[in-house]
Amino acid sequence: MSSAAAIHGIIARDLARAFRQKSRLLGGLARPFMWLLFVGTGYNTIAHVEGVESYHAFVYPGVVVMAVLFGAMLTAISTVYDREFGMLRLMLASPAGVPAILAGRAIAAAAIGIVQGGVVLLFIPAVMSVTPVQLVAVVAALVLGAAASSVLGLLVAAPLRSVENFAGVINVVLFPLLFLSGALYPTSRLPAALQAIARLNPVTYAVDLMRRALGQPAEFAASRSILVLSATTLLAFGLTTIVFDPERRLVRRDRAEKSSPTERRPGL
Amino acid sequence: MSAPEPAIASDGLGRDYGSTRALDALDLVVRTGTIVGLLGPNGAGKTTTMLLLATLLGPSRGTARVFGHDIARERVAIRRRLGLVFQEASIDGLLTVRENLTFAARLAGLGGGAARQAVANILESTGLANRASQPARELSTGWRRLTDLARATLHRPDLLILDEPTVGLDPEHRDRAWRLLETECRERGTTVLFSTHYLTEAERCDDVLLLADGRVVGTGTPAALMATVGEEVLEIEGPDAPRLLSALDEVVTVRLAIKTARGYRIGISGPRDQLTKLAAAAPALVRFTVRPPTLDDVYFARTQDQTLVRPAGVPRQALA
Repeated sequence: MSSAAAIHGIIARDLARAFRQKSRLLGGLARPFMWLLFVGTGYNTIAHVEGVESYHAFVYPGVVVMAVLFGAMLTAISTVYDREFGMLRLMLASPAGVPAILAGRAIAAAAIGIVQGGVVLLFIPAVMSVTPVQLVAVVAALVLGAAASSVLGLLVAAPLRSVENFAGVINVVLFPLLFLSGALYPTSRLPAALQAIARLNPVTYAVDLMRRALGQPAEFAASRSILVLSATTLLAFGLTTIVFDPERRLVRRDRAEKSSPTERRPGL
Repeated sequence: MSAPEPAIASDGLGRDYGSTRALDALDLVVRTGTIVGLLGPNGAGKTTTMLLLATLLGPSRGTARVFGHDIARERVAIRRRLGLVFQEASIDGLLTVRENLTFAARLAGLGGGAARQAVANILESTGLANRASQPARELSTGWRRLTDLARATLHRPDLLILDEPTVGLDPEHRDRAWRLLETECRERGTTVLFSTHYLTEAERCDDVLLLADGRVVGTGTPAALMATVGEEVLEIEGPDAPRLLSALDEVVTVRLAIKTARGYRIGISGPRDQLTKLAAAAPALVRFTVRPPTLDDVYFARTQDQTLVRPAGVPRQALA
């Protein structure tokens, strides 16, 4: 019961925070739309992907996944802000326990990813026609992709000490996950080594599942993609609970206090 | 009839950070329902002590029990009965006061109705009700800290651990904070362990624990600790101060003498009829004051290196 209340509290807080940071929310939505508008329109004139009517139609599932990936992962990685500014220790001092805290954060991050992906999805009729059945399948793929993205974000955040590492994480983690997922171009034409890496990338399966849901040519069976995404979510969550060190921030602060000989007098 | 279980009992509790010994070996007994002040310079081990007892850090040596629960093995049981305030307020600036408190209530395990009731009660009792819808980032330091205290107490914890809860507060907000803590302690029997650099605040405690360099250097009631300094404290400053200090032994019992930036603080006992005569014979004194001892004197005597004469060794003792 106490864990359920704590998870509820964490989700409510994270969602309230996310929707009050409007510039961040709009920035997160601008990225996929800019890709669709500028890059998509440009490539539409020169690129042709087999089995798909236009580059816009090809890239749309990938851009939805892009919105989900960035929304969920960046929200999850923001755990490092809470670690830095003291809110995380408040959660850690609760009876809920680390798994419940991480679960709350993961669910909230996934929800934000789903909202951002969902907003992009709203405009899909402008590019292609979608049946209600396809739409249900797309939403299911979106949920699976968001779950995996959020937990991967937590795993990335677990060893991070401070927010200064944040930009590096985006360049080193998020962009490779996106570029080697088949979201923006087919991975089948990549060199063999990059193809092999793409097959290890869980985002590849989210993109592929999304394509299959929309009736586009897909590389993997739906069951395989669902299995990979579910397994990624569970494995990454388990790994995060192991890697996550609740003492990290506390020890840093206490060390700083210990090593600071500046003020040795009481503040009278 | 057996003695009631202490709120906190530690035995040789210590913590290292790599090769740094932050807390050496803490033996401590805190009686249930008392207010205990933790004093000491920065780096003395106060925060480490509190984090260990709050189960947020694991000990490197020794053991401690909070309400009978082991801090290393029964963390959840302890956290259910704990309210914590850290040095920096744990308040989310993007949320309103009410949302911050609701978040804390849910973290403490309170579900829908119970959480709403706990938040309503604490808003009322702390005077935060008319700020409930205000974003926390718009609060002054004082109200922000009071919100933090409300957060830590709304679930009615049996033990409050507070790391410098009144730092940076003006007298009005400090008074509000103390009223809240004393109400918790006197009316609900909550045990309060807090650290502070405001030594006048520590005089309101039932017991005081003095730490320096990771070691306990004094424990007892404020009155008992102040009595170790002497019956009175003589403060002297000026060129004649060293000469007067050396002559003091002839007219009073010198319990200890502390060198300050401009002179000496001297703990004295016994009749002081001859003191004024002695002062008259030292015309170059710029200050000559006799006053009752304070915890400030105890603090300097136990934690600084300038003490010239130390009182007889004070054994490490339990606060019980």
